[in-house]
Amino acid sequence: MWQFPVSDQVPQISGNRQACGNSFDKQQRTFIQMRTVLKVVDNSGAKKVMCIQALKGKKGARLGDTIIASVKEAMPNGKVKKGKVVYGVVVRAAMQRGRCDGSEVKFDDNAVVLVDKQGQPIGTRVFGPVPHELRQKKHVKILTLAEHIA
Amino acid sequence: MWATLRSRYLHLSAKTLPSSSLTNGSWKLGFSGLNQTFSSSTVERRSNELLSLQEVEKVLSDVRADDVAVVPVGNQCDWADFMVIATGRSQWHVKNIAQALIYKVKQKQKGAKRMVLPSVQGQETGKWIVIDSGRVIVHALDEKARAYYNLENLWTAKPAQKEPVEELTKVFVKVRRINNSKKAAQGSD
Repeated sequence: MWQFPVSDQVPQISGNRQACGNSFDKQQRTFIQMRTVLKVVDNSGAKKVMCIQALKGKKGARLGDTIIASVKEAMPNGKVKKGKVVYGVVVRAAMQRGRCDGSEVKFDDNAVVLVDKQGQPIGTRVFGPVPHELRQKKHVKILTLAEHIA
Repeated sequence: MWATLRSRYLHLSAKTLPSSSLTNGSWKLGFSGLNQTFSSSTVERRSNELLSLQEVEKVLSDVRADDVAVVPVGNQCDWADFMVIATGRSQWHVKNIAQALIYKVKQKQKGAKRMVLPSVQGQETGKWIVIDSGRVIVHALDEKARAYYNLENLWTAKPAQKEPVEELTKVFVKVRRINNSKKAAQGSD
């Protein structure tokens, strides 16, 4: 299926951390935990998955972490079917993630790329922007399959 | 602490930061050596840090990898300059290619106080091993994985795909009609 390579995602990279005072109008985004529904952005066949376990972290998964998820919605002829338990790598998260130069990165939605247990991506292409953090988290394979890197 | 600094150096040496705010945050710790290499860094110097293209080609021909393809991606992505894709005949062969490259890096850095090793992903399975050495990234696949992922198609077809996006942005620009009428402007409703 040919996907139009226009991404309406604009990752927000903020220069400095805002003070707590003016965050009443903004939602406080948190981790990806059990029951979080994420979008699937590769062509493996699944459309939406629900997280059932964040592999690292007591509070939940963040950008670049691996999760275990259950496929809730899938395309009719794809490599994964509905109800399958899969591993996934979080490539976009609404929660901001700090970079080592002091800036922060956050996206508008939560998105995941399905991988198998050894870390090989199940799909062959990744759509939408992906952040640089994947390189340090040893997910260079997903970076090479991605179409746009934030 | 050295391990994290080493990984950060690898990470930062590969990409160019959009904001040149290198002096704030963690770099103020006084590691002037790293800052010096950064200020005088050129693209060629970075790729010679761990593995250069000629060395990679030589190692791959020594190991007798099939179908070595070098794709220059410097104009498409800013985090790598060259992608080398090689095929192994079996899973053991793919692992051997990865081991040979790491051995070459170790040989190059023999006698240094701290060895910086390239990061290897996918080592347990022999299906797709990625060796990330700064600007040069080596992919070692077996034949099935190469046909499945089709990496050359992705990287050589990429600049062509960028064109439609620019045309789309022009389409949504609103063009106002030129108003040359001598009538007085109507009040707003």
